[in-house]
This record gives sequence, C-alpha cells and structure tokens, in this order.
Amino acid sequence: MDACSKEYDVIVIGGGHAGYEAALASARMGCQTALICMDRNAIGRMSCNPSIGGIGKSHIVAELDALGGEMARNADYTGIQFRTLNSRKGPAVRATRIQCDKQWFPKRIQEVIRSTPNLDVIETVASEIIVSNGRAIGIRMEDGAPLRGKAIVLATGTFLSGKIHVGKSSWAGGRIGEKASYSLSECLKRLGFRMGRLKTGTPPRLHKDSLNYDKMEVQPGEQTPPFLSWDARREWEKFHVEQNGCQSAMFHVEQATDPIRPWPPGWGQMNCWITHTNERTHEIIRRNLGDSAMYGGMIEGIGVRYCPSIEDKIVKFGHHDTHHIFIEPEGRGSIEIYPNGTSNSLPENVQIDMIRSIPGLERAIFIRPGYAIEYDYSDPTQLSASLETKLIEALFMAGQINGTTGYEEAGGQGFVAGVNAARKARGEPPLIFSRNDSYLGVMIDDLVTKGVDEPYRMFTSRAEHRLVLRQDNAWIRLADRARILGIVSPERLSEYSRAQIAIEQERSRLETNFRSGISLWQWLKRPEARFDDVADEASKPSRLVAEQLEIDAKYEGYIARELAKIAKADVIEKIYIPHNIDYKSITTIKHEAREKLQRTRPETLGQAARIPGVNPADVAILAVWIERLRSADKEGVAGRP
Amino acid sequence: MSDSDTIAAIATAPGEGGVAIVRVSGARAFDIADAVFICHHPPPSRRPGGTFIFGKVIDSDGAILDEALLLLMRAPRSYTREDTIEIQGHGSPVVARRILQRVVSAGARVAEPGEFTKRAFLNGRLDLAQAEAVADLIRARSDRAASAAVAQLEGSLSRQINALYDALIETAANVEATLDFSDQEIPEGVLNPVIGELDRIIANLHAVLSTWNEGHLLREGATVVIAGKPNVGKSTLLNALLGRNRAIVSSQPGTTRDTIEESVVLGGYPITLIDTAGLRETDCAIELEGISRATRELAGADLCLYVVGSPYGPDDEDFRVIETIPRDKLIIIFNKADILNYYNIFANNYHSFIYTSAMTGLGLDDLRAAIIRKFDHDAPHPDHHATISTRHRSLIESAIQAVEAALIEMKKESGAIDLAAAQLREAIESLGAITGRIYHDDLLKSVFGRFCIGK
Repeated sequence: MDACSKEYDVIVIGGGHAGYEAALASARMGCQTALICMDRNAIGRMSCNPSIGGIGKSHIVAELDALGGEMARNADYTGIQFRTLNSRKGPAVRATRIQCDKQWFPKRIQEVIRSTPNLDVIETVASEIIVSNGRAIGIRMEDGAPLRGKAIVLATGTFLSGKIHVGKSSWAGGRIGEKASYSLSECLKRLGFRMGRLKTGTPPRLHKDSLNYDKMEVQPGEQTPPFLSWDARREWEKFHVEQNGCQSAMFHVEQATDPIRPWPPGWGQMNCWITHTNERTHEIIRRNLGDSAMYGGMIEGIGVRYCPSIEDKIVKFGHHDTHHIFIEPEGRGSIEIYPNGTSNSLPENVQIDMIRSIPGLERAIFIRPGYAIEYDYSDPTQLSASLETKLIEALFMAGQINGTTGYEEAGGQGFVAGVNAARKARGEPPLIFSRNDSYLGVMIDDLVTKGVDEPYRMFTSRAEHRLVLRQDNAWIRLADRARILGIVSPERLSEYSRAQIAIEQERSRLETNFRSGISLWQWLKRPEARFDDVADEASKPSRLVAEQLEIDAKYEGYIARELAKIAKADVIEKIYIPHNIDYKSITTIKHEAREKLQRTRPETLGQAARIPGVNPADVAILAVWIERLRSADKEGVAGRP
Repeated sequence: MSDSDTIAAIATAPGEGGVAIVRVSGARAFDIADAVFICHHPPPSRRPGGTFIFGKVIDSDGAILDEALLLLMRAPRSYTREDTIEIQGHGSPVVARRILQRVVSAGARVAEPGEFTKRAFLNGRLDLAQAEAVADLIRARSDRAASAAVAQLEGSLSRQINALYDALIETAANVEATLDFSDQEIPEGVLNPVIGELDRIIANLHAVLSTWNEGHLLREGATVVIAGKPNVGKSTLLNALLGRNRAIVSSQPGTTRDTIEESVVLGGYPITLIDTAGLRETDCAIELEGISRATRELAGADLCLYVVGSPYGPDDEDFRVIETIPRDKLIIIFNKADILNYYNIFANNYHSFIYTSAMTGLGLDDLRAAIIRKFDHDAPHPDHHATISTRHRSLIESAIQAVEAALIEMKKESGAIDLAAAQLREAIESLGAITGRIYHDDLLKSVFGRFCIGK
C-alpha cells in the first residue's frame, strides 16, 4: 500500500506501551491509523522489568481493560507468574503483579496489531511535526516525505535525544542497541514547547544457568492466578468448570505457536527468588561511586526517587545493612534473568564485582550490563486533560515524553491520547477522565496541573478517593465510558450490565432477609463474615458479584462518605475558566500564583486549585473573576475586566 | 489596581463616641475622597499614602456635613491591600450615617458584614485563622478577650495547628508508604512509631481543644445563673453584683416571674448574670413558666450561684436542684448572713460555699473572687494565649475522632490499613480547614458570614 498518498485520521509516533495502546484504541474506534516506528519487531518491547502491574499501576491496567485497552490481556496471556500484592492491607490497595514472558509479550502485541483492521505500521523515523495555522496536519518522515494525518499522537518514550550511560562511557541511543531521535526533539523546541531532561536506568541481565538458586529464597506464583483482564478470567473460569479443576498437564511450551494465546493463561507459572546485598556489595559501590555515570556528574537529568538505582540506595539509605534483590526470569524460553533492584550506571567491570558479591550470584555471567539513559521530555502542564497540547491543536502526547515512568502509566496515557486523537479526527469533543472516576484521571490531572520534577510513577496515595477507585471495581466505575467508546465487545458490555444488576438484586435480598434478628447485609458487615456465609444456594452469584458485595458491605460507611466528598468537590471541577482570561491583569492574585496560572492555563477552577503555588485565596479571587467575566459576557458589557 | 468595586461602612461602634469613622476601600476610594472632601491643594488623590488631611466633608450640593480628618492609605499598604480612605468625623451617629450616604452617592457601595476582612483575606494579607481572630477582636467585650484575639492574630493558633498538621502529614506518610510499597520494598517497622505518634497528636489536639473553654468564655462571655427558692434574696444579689438596682425586689416571695439578664465584667471576663424565678411548687401559670425557664437556664449555665436563705442550710427541696448541677459549676450562697445565724451544718469540702449579705455587701468580694477563680480554673493554660472558636472546636474534635478511628484500625489484628489511612486523611483535611490550607468554598462563606459590618 502506498502510505504517503493517503491521509490518516490518526498518526501515532512510537511503538512502545503508550504507542500501541494509542494506535489500537484509535483503529478499534474505526479511525484510519498509522503506527510509526523504527522497527516493527520492537513494538511492545519491555525494555526494563518484564512485568506488568504493581501497587497503583495495576489499577491503571485494570481500568484499561475495562475500557478496551490491550495491556491487561497481553500480560495475562503471556504471564509466567501471577501474584496479589497487599492482600492483607485492604481492598483499596490490593494490587496485581504479573511477570511476563519477555519474548511473547511483544510478539503477541505485534500479532494483535497485525490483525487489527484500520491499522498500518510504517517503519520510519518521524523527523518533524507539520503544523499549519496552529494545527498539526501531519509528519515528515526520514526521507523527507510528508505523511498527512488529522491528529498526531507523540509517544516517543526515551528516544528523544536519548543518551545511554555505562560508567564513564556514553553514546546516543533510545534503548540499548537502538538509535535515538534528535530532529523531533528539535522540532518540538522550535514549536515552542518547554522541554526538560529526565533519566532512568535498568539493571544488568544475567544468564539463568549461572546462578545458585539454593542460596536464595523462592517466591512462587499464586495457585489461582489473579488475572488483570476480563477475558483471561472468563477463560480460566470456563476451563476450570469444564475440567473440574484439573490442570492441563498435557500442554507443553513447545506447542506455543499461536502468538495470541501462546499457552492457556495462568498455566505453568515460574518461580522468582529473593536474595540480598551485603556490606561487601555496598563497599564495592561506595569505592566506585566516582565512576558511576550518575554520581560522577555525567548525567544532568533527574532520576526516579521511587525506583532508585543501587547507587542511590547505598548513598541515601546508608544505614541499611542490606537491600532486597529480586531474581526474575525473563520468560520460558529466555536465558536471561532480571536482577530487580540492581539498576545502576557503574562501569561494567564494577557491575560484575558488585553483582558477584551477592549470595547466589557469585558466578553470574553477564549478558548485558546495566545502564542509565537520559532523554528529553516535554513539560506536561502544556497539555489539557485530553492530552492534546495547548500549543498545537490536534497534537497529543503520551507516555515518557510527558515525564512519566512505567509501562502502565505509558499505556494509560496512550489509550486516552489515542481515544481523544480519534475523537479529534472525527470532530467530537474529548473524553475526559477525572480524579473522581479513575487512576487514569488522577494521573493525567497530576501531570497537567502539577507537572513533573522527577519521572512520575503512579501510587495509590495520589488518589484522594482511594477507597472508591479500587482495582476490583474498575469495570463498574468505567462501564459508562466503555459504552461511549464502543471498543469493548457488546457481549462483554452486556456482561457488565448483568453483573451490575446481579449486585443490586443480591444486595436487596441481603437487606430484606434476616438471621438472628439482623439483616444478612448487617451480617456481612462483620469483619470475619464472607459472602458464602450469607449466600443463597438457589441463586449463587459469580465470584465477581460476591466480591463487590463483600467490599460494599464492609466499607459502606466509608464509601458513602467518599461519594459525598466527590459530589462536593465536583462543584469546582465543573467551573470552566474562560480561555481569554488575562492573569496578568488580576493583580490581586499573588505574583507567584499569577505566573503559575499564566504558565499552566488550567481548564477548570479545580485544576487551578491543585497547581502548586496557587493558594486558596488565589482560587477564591479567581472564582470571583470567572463569575464576573461570565456575567459581563451575559450583559454584553464591553471594556469590563 | 484593584479589580473589585468600592465598599464603605461606618467602622466605629454604634452610639455616641468621641469620633466616628467611615471607611472606604476599593479602586474608586480616592476619586470618592476628591468628590466628598474639600481641603487645601492638592486634593486627596494626589497626596502620598499614610497622610492625614484636615478638611470638610461636603454634600453633593456643596453644603458642609462635618469637619473631619481624612486618612489616606495607598494599596497595598492598607488593611484590605486596596486603596483605602478613612473619614474621621465628630462622633454623632447621625453625622456618621450622613457621611456614609454621601460616600455611597459618590460611587461606593455599603459593605457586607465582614467584607473588609474578607478582602484582606482574599488579597493575601491574612490567613483564615487570622481573619477569624479579627472578627473576635471586633466583638471582644473586654481587655482580656482582646489580648487573646491579638495573640491569635499573630498566628499562634496557626502555628500550633500547622505544627500538628505537619506531624500528622508525616505520620500519615508512613502509613501511606506501607500501602504503596510491598513489605519487601520498605524497611521493616515503618509502622512502629505511628501508634505512639498518633497518641501524641491526639494529646496535643486535646490540649488545643481545652483552650476552647477559655476562648468560649472570653468570646461569648460566661453565663452565671442565680437560682434558689423564692425570697432568698436572688434579685438583691443580682443588684449587688451589678452595683445598681436592676431587678425589682420585695419581701414578697415570687416577685421575679421571668428571667432577667444583665452584663458585667469580672476579672476580665464578660459575664452575663441571669436572675431567675424562685423555684417552688406553684399553681400560677406565669410563675410556672418562669420556673421552667429558670431550669433551662441552669442547664446551660457556666456557673450557678445557688442561693439559700434559711439558717438550717439547704433542705431536701434545695438538694433536689443542687444535685442536678455539676459540682464544678456550682457555688452555694448562704445569703442574709447578717441577720441569719447559720449553723455549721454545711461544713463539707464537697461544695464551694460563701456567706454573703447582699443587703450589706458582706462577702460580695469573696463571691467575686470565687467566680473569677472558677473561670481561671476553666482556662488552665495561661501560656496558651490563642483561643479557639466554635468552628475550630468542631474541626479539632472531628480530627481527634478521625485519628482515634485510625488508631483503632491500626491496633486491630486484622485491621485494614487503607481505612486507617482514609481516617488520617480526614484528620488532615479537618486541621487544614482551620488555617485554610485546603480550598473549600463553604469554609470561606461560613467564616465570613459571622463578621459584623465595618471590618
């Protein structure tokens, strides 16, 4: 097909986790979509940890699944170990982590992309965004040829002016062994975007046969895999009803030929292991800090506080004698081991000494050294909540380019940007997620109102309505959005509805049936009570329904309070700030706040209130101004502020 | 310059005084000054801030309303941080009102209650706690109350609450950390100090709360109810404490049928003295109503003076009432001590009692001293000059409740830490609402609704 002659609805630049979610969402919404990447075999690659999920992050993945994203399914179907985190700390923070097969994860995504209608993959380097009258209308490719598109999504990850560091040596690259992109970064600066520099890192990779597992503590997966996707859960349930709980022992990995379903989800989980650093490890790092790219002053970008390099851990947490190291296999067929917790930018020979001082790793063979990478990001306060840039119409940004870290954060933004790019191309208003309905909303609101000064990672503590935004109820929270988008299959949407009705019916049964003087609903509120204690054999609801009822009963008071707070907070979220407001003229607002507002140009009063440096008094004044501007508009009074 | 319209109000208390001040604040304040005030060249608008000008306030037809001083303050060097003028006229309320009318006809608008302070707050001059203190300062009814309000204005409440807010944030952060990181990712024992720290925070919150008693007494004044059987000399006692004949007294039992309220300042405490109908069995409907009012007043009183007028001391009927009153809110008065020969039948340490003669003044100084002692006792923190309002009190109480609920979850074997964290967030929100660290529209409304006009 001759791609150049065609005008696409949506062009997505980048084939990472933001890129594939954006492209799939757009194509599945029926928009003609082009995915631009350097190498189609690199689409969906896991450049760092081969795992999906984790606390706060799995909330995003569950939300993506509810809306019709691919990440959850892809993780479930290529997962080699499934675990629930925080199982005893309460349902709001319960999370899932899936160790994935590093080969099969991208392979499956690539196959999904190949079989999705309306979606073309074009192997090239995007060198320029073509802008006309303040609106993006296409891109220029490596060979200088233009590619026209009604909306563009930039999901370039760490490739913008990427620079890799190992010890004192450094070279340009987007990932190890892949080239970086410089011209696009220059183009963004020319268009007027404020750009900054961030850094992240990755540990070395070790050969699995060179480790002594006897010296480590084994960490197995869970018998019943906690899937993230609706589809894998359904398949598992169906399978276990049919097979009466018997595992399919006859399945062998050699049979894995179908990239969409390489093996039955949850089948044949692999072990991880835990080992620890010791004083000798720390001594080696301390002695060589001067040669570390990060500590030797070679890197200007700001690193992740929450996912520290091992140098960071030793320097900043020097009082700990030991740190955990998680030994994670990279896949069934893979010889590579990912020693999670050893991310560093030391010279290779020091890395080898350091790794070999750790119990079980004494004879470790290096496949690749760890490295640090710095890259350009664009200040995300230049985006609106749809992820469209305020500067250039129809240009969207998603993922690490917005200063985030993590596949999940990237995928979440990619999906939202893809959806809104598609809606832009069709002339529809954007679909906005809010802090009250999803982690997606929390993340995007944080990015566009507060900006980032270090790579942004999701945490449950970022969500003020945490008790309501749970992983387990993502499908309920987002059912209406899913219906609007129409990406999720109609069958599944009607399953959502049926389950919601079942919850209502069960609840009213529990409220109107009594046992020893109290309703079954009251009974279920007891801390030790389980749904099975109050279940009715005749109409036994699914586990999904039972889980919601248990949580609803036990948390009822809290949830009601959260919902009341949401309703209250919603008021200022719905007050829109006129685009033409001139903050410079509102001299009663503090100077600092005025500058921040002018710079960020929030869309709503709620956003304004969350901008750091804008205090309640400033917001109150702003509220008065908005009111006045609006009444002035109504009365048609000219010349008033 | 300011974007808001120009407001005006009479800033001095109503009634006859030495001087009456009309304050005008807003963008048009100087234009208005030029229009209503004549003086030597140059006109007020062309003079520097901080100057006093002598001149005359003139009506729109040129008639002189008053001789006056005009004080000129340029933004942001004024209370509201806007251009402000103060016209200080002679103290007649009639003249003050005419000056205000004149100013309004020249383009100002009459200020809403608390609007000057609201502007000071909105323009960033005051934080919320300080703004509330100004409201208290205006309403303060005695010197003692005024100095507590000043301490709050200087931010001592803000400092205390901010310190607790920070401590709470820090502790909550430990809890949040255990939620956002798996057990292997964070050091062991992150939660260990949390329980002790929360206990400490609760204790400190209680300490702040205890200043409410003092604050409440200083702000709203203490209510002291005089009760007892008929004809024991309650009204005579009221008159004696007031130093004037307010209540009708007679030897007739049941003379006082309704409650009588009067204000007096004792030891710096503004006190509302309430004389009540004598408590007795009666068929008279009016007297019955009086008695039921007396009983209601007793229930809400900060202090009850129960008057006994029999040489045998309180009888069973008296004790039925006395026993309903908390011991620390009761002083028993053996009145008519000049003519009655009290036996030492009541020499116990259980109740405070004083011998008086309201007629001769015997024991009245002792009684005043006892009342002051009693209120000093309610204000147990002499160094806590800052006192808290009813709004602060309910916020601190809800913070305490939330922290206590969090502690219960934390101490439970199977407690859900996400619920504990939710409670700590509630507590943080409550404390933040005191100093305005969290934006909340209703909060501003409720704070500024309480202000009296003029400041």
